[in-house]
Amino acid sequence: MLLACVKTEQKKLRHSHLWAAFLVIPLLPTIMGAANYLNNLGLLKSEWYSLWTQHSLFYANFFYAPLIALYCSYIWRVEHLNNNWNHLMTMPVPAADVFLSKLILALRCTVILQFWMWALFLIAGKAVGLPGLPEFQILIWLLRGSLGALAITSLQLVLSMIIRSFAVPIALALLGSVAGLLASNGGFGLFWPYSLMLMGMNANKTEDMVSSSLGFGISTLCFLLLFTGVGILWLRKKDIRS
Amino acid sequence: MKYIVETRGLSKSYGNKQVVNNVNLKVPKGCVYGFMGPNGAGKSTTLKMLLGLVKAGGGTALIDGREMNQKNRLEILKETGSLIESPSYYGHLTGRENLEIVRTLKNAPEKEVEQVLKLVRMERQQDKKTKEYSLGMKQRLGLAAALIGKPQLLLLDEPTNGLDPSGIQEIRELICELPKRTGMTVLVSSHLLSEMDQMADYVGIINHGQLIFQDKLEALHEHSKSKLLLRVMNRTAALKILENSGTEGRVTEEGILIPSLSDDQAANLVSALAAGGAGLYRVEERQKSLEDIFLSLTGRRASL
Repeated sequence: MLLACVKTEQKKLRHSHLWAAFLVIPLLPTIMGAANYLNNLGLLKSEWYSLWTQHSLFYANFFYAPLIALYCSYIWRVEHLNNNWNHLMTMPVPAADVFLSKLILALRCTVILQFWMWALFLIAGKAVGLPGLPEFQILIWLLRGSLGALAITSLQLVLSMIIRSFAVPIALALLGSVAGLLASNGGFGLFWPYSLMLMGMNANKTEDMVSSSLGFGISTLCFLLLFTGVGILWLRKKDIRS
Repeated sequence: MKYIVETRGLSKSYGNKQVVNNVNLKVPKGCVYGFMGPNGAGKSTTLKMLLGLVKAGGGTALIDGREMNQKNRLEILKETGSLIESPSYYGHLTGRENLEIVRTLKNAPEKEVEQVLKLVRMERQQDKKTKEYSLGMKQRLGLAAALIGKPQLLLLDEPTNGLDPSGIQEIRELICELPKRTGMTVLVSSHLLSEMDQMADYVGIINHGQLIFQDKLEALHEHSKSKLLLRVMNRTAALKILENSGTEGRVTEEGILIPSLSDDQAANLVSALAAGGAGLYRVEERQKSLEDIFLSLTGRRASL
């Protein structure tokens, strides 16, 4: 049944121009990061790693979470419109599958986004004249960012499910990731969902922010289970208003 | 008798407002059941509770003998088609794509999409985006979606709302046909009594959350006892004579309405009116319309 749900969720994304946003918006942190790098060449001596600090400074703090939020808002928006809640919840489908199918699509988006970011990073590096190829480690950091993003993807999915507005959850994601910067700098990163993807991506840092992989993993898993549980429970218990 | 829908003391309140109050629906299998009531009487909330969209505040809803709860929800929904409130549709998808989604989730054979499209006569509009559909087309698409999976029970909430007269007629015919062709039970709500008169076998009337009538349609018609309309030259004199004879008379634009009388009583009254100078020139028999019954049923409760 979950597979059928994923299939129908994919169908619901047809004819949407969402991909264009995901193609274009990541250009902004790329350009901002490259410009910052060029302006601070005197301080930034570690080539690809230095460019990554600038690139990730913008991307992880201001763009990744809102982009995930945008995707989550979109996949719930189709249900908020035209009384589709009634329709969705009268299908013979477990509430868990409804939520999980959307979560699977959102997670796929968070991974694809990272590969696109890596490609942009490569292009930016070449454009500013860096030699060779970026270290493989940076791609690992990006994907570790996706892993950390499990926490906020499930959270944003819950927010966009409950909040009918398209923009409010995205604004919350932006606030959340700015607060995430403060939390991770203050050493509370593992206790704030929006910090985990920052830490995973090693945003704006040269030394590894994930001091304990176990702590990082457990924290991510706890948030994922918590928010997914809340989401499914809400679908089961709440009356449908449409 | 076997009921496909049976509720026992079904209730729901929002805050202090009791929206559905101790409703005991009994819908026999294979019939068209008209669920009537003014707007805001609790029809939609009741139907939503039958579908598990709204959790019952009190009482139970049994669908084909199974209680609607978390455990039975999926089994019940598999055999139920519904069209609740305004039609649901994914506007950016075509009519066909919308139906394909329902078909996948209901795990129905592929050919059913074709069948329901034909049934609601939408083959030609199937590849148009649904946001460009007229309300009537959306409503028909919603009905098509509800029919996918060959449900035993069809719940339709005001399915003719917003349709033009020919669209209304089409939906009505379709609703009447379904039980005969497929053995399906149709529970259809409406705030228009005239509509039910043409479709329903059974009728339930809900007002202020309470079920105030439930029986065969013929039983409702029996409430429509006729009245006599007296047309007189001198109303004052006529009313006085009526008062003396102990007959209740109500002055309307057309004349004076009195309850139906036996032949003897009528003859006596006519003589009295003639002798008393009321100037009686016509006695007409008036049938009470279903709207009048509806009004008297709902109005009476409202004034309690």
